[in-house]
Amino acid sequence: MANNSALFAQTLTDWTQGTFLAPVPLWVWAMVSALVVIYLLALPFGGIATYIERKIAADMQDRIGPNRVGPLGLFQFAADAVKMLSKEDYVPPAGDKFLFNIAPVLVVVGSCAGFVALPLGQYLVAGDVNIGVFYILAVTTLIAPGILLGSWASENKWSLLGGLRSAAQIVSYEIPVALSILPVILISGSLQVGEIVKQQGWNPDLPIAANAHFWNVVHNPFTVFAFFILFVGGLAETNRIPFDLPEAESELVSGFNTEFSGMRFGLYALGEFVDVFVMCAMLAALYLGGWQLPFLELDKFWITLPSGLIALIHVGVFLVKTLLLVFVVMWLRWTLPRLRVDQLMGLCWKGMVPLALFNVLGTAIWVWAFKGQSMIQVAMGLFSGGGSSH
Amino acid sequence: MSNGIKLILLLAEILTVGSALVVAVNPNILYSAVFLLFSFLGVAVMFLFAGADFLAATQVVVYVGGVTILILFAIMLTQWMYRLKLRDVGSKFIVPAVVLALGLVPMLHRGLTDLARMVKAAPPEKMSEFAASPKTMEIGKALLGSHVLPFEAITILLLGALVGAVWLARPKS
Repeated sequence: MANNSALFAQTLTDWTQGTFLAPVPLWVWAMVSALVVIYLLALPFGGIATYIERKIAADMQDRIGPNRVGPLGLFQFAADAVKMLSKEDYVPPAGDKFLFNIAPVLVVVGSCAGFVALPLGQYLVAGDVNIGVFYILAVTTLIAPGILLGSWASENKWSLLGGLRSAAQIVSYEIPVALSILPVILISGSLQVGEIVKQQGWNPDLPIAANAHFWNVVHNPFTVFAFFILFVGGLAETNRIPFDLPEAESELVSGFNTEFSGMRFGLYALGEFVDVFVMCAMLAALYLGGWQLPFLELDKFWITLPSGLIALIHVGVFLVKTLLLVFVVMWLRWTLPRLRVDQLMGLCWKGMVPLALFNVLGTAIWVWAFKGQSMIQVAMGLFSGGGSSH
Repeated sequence: MSNGIKLILLLAEILTVGSALVVAVNPNILYSAVFLLFSFLGVAVMFLFAGADFLAATQVVVYVGGVTILILFAIMLTQWMYRLKLRDVGSKFIVPAVVLALGLVPMLHRGLTDLARMVKAAPPEKMSEFAASPKTMEIGKALLGSHVLPFEAITILLLGALVGAVWLARPKS
């Protein structure tokens, strides 16, 4: 396995060989790809997500939602951004100016950095890091200190309570989330997100029994549960309803972001939306086959279809899966009531952690007993008298 | 190593040492905790460029996501802790501090000379090859193969600590 932690930057370097851009070193291209990730993926998604969220909320409450700015109100998020930039830049005089300024930045850095290892398509990933999944888990931990410090720097009781709640919640739910990622790693034997997605593919050349590895969510009975635990844990990690206790407006005004106004508040909101996207994209890549289409190997058409079109299809498939999960997250917001703090902690430590541990053990035994075959393969093997393992 | 990587490495070193300095001399204990976070991040970047990507991510998960949060919690939940000026109580520890610092010098010297010998022994092209090779699989195999006994011993220790923490925190009835 080659080290391709700078895959995208390496491609850019290769492309520019022999042109006037050839002397530009690799690290400049790495910077360029980082900026592309932030400005072309993370920020537009954050903006459009606010619009989608408001439209979905309006639909579910039988309202119209934003409809004034641009066609169908599509430019509402741009208007919101302009509004936020023109707001008064207020720092609580009793608070801590330095911490107040860096806290929202930590949140945005933590959530945007996760974008780097997300495989949008087979050859479209900013950096397919060897430790991919673990890398995403690591950088998103920056969000917790960001929220905690911002709440403390506000010098406000409600803020501090919200921040402490948020940190306790994120630290607790990190455990079931990490334990629910482990089954996938046990199955695929790799931490690299691109490799995990590739293994969930479909190859028409092979006999069907060798082929039915399929998406990890239906690999064995335990991964079905692990998928749901990861989804619920992701909701809690991103402070979404029904786990939005850090900003419970009926008790804490607005929680950790009470004192934040203007673009600093915007950064918090943006960080949350980007984090939701990263969480859903990770779920789609690990359990729902990422950019893979079922029963179809797009690589087979590599010669007949132009490569740009294939890349577009990959990105489209991946985005559809991810956005469907994002839709479910927004749908839950208008469906479920908020949990109490003790229910939240009880659910994590007494319910999800033991279940997640059981899933890891179960998957380990399954992979050992059936030599890594999925349950579809095992079932086919029963009928055809011994299926071939891959 | 290209100049760009050298520059990033230099920035990481400045971040690590500079933040560590702020941790040591800043009288506000909360600022010390915050700059400890930046120092940990700088160390993670250096691990990354030494080819230890798994170690770098572990550093961030354990120290930034775990230890720093724990320290921040402890400071915020202890009354008046963050108003305490650490300089007030610092002066009486000067003699033990100097003794400790003098004792550290031979240890550091030993470690650095060993390191210099190792760097001289390894040819630079071998070094970059090593730094670029993925090592996570080897770490996993070592932990569950040749080093399985210490690994299991640590898990039992951690389980004991967890059970002990639950026992301490249970309500007295």
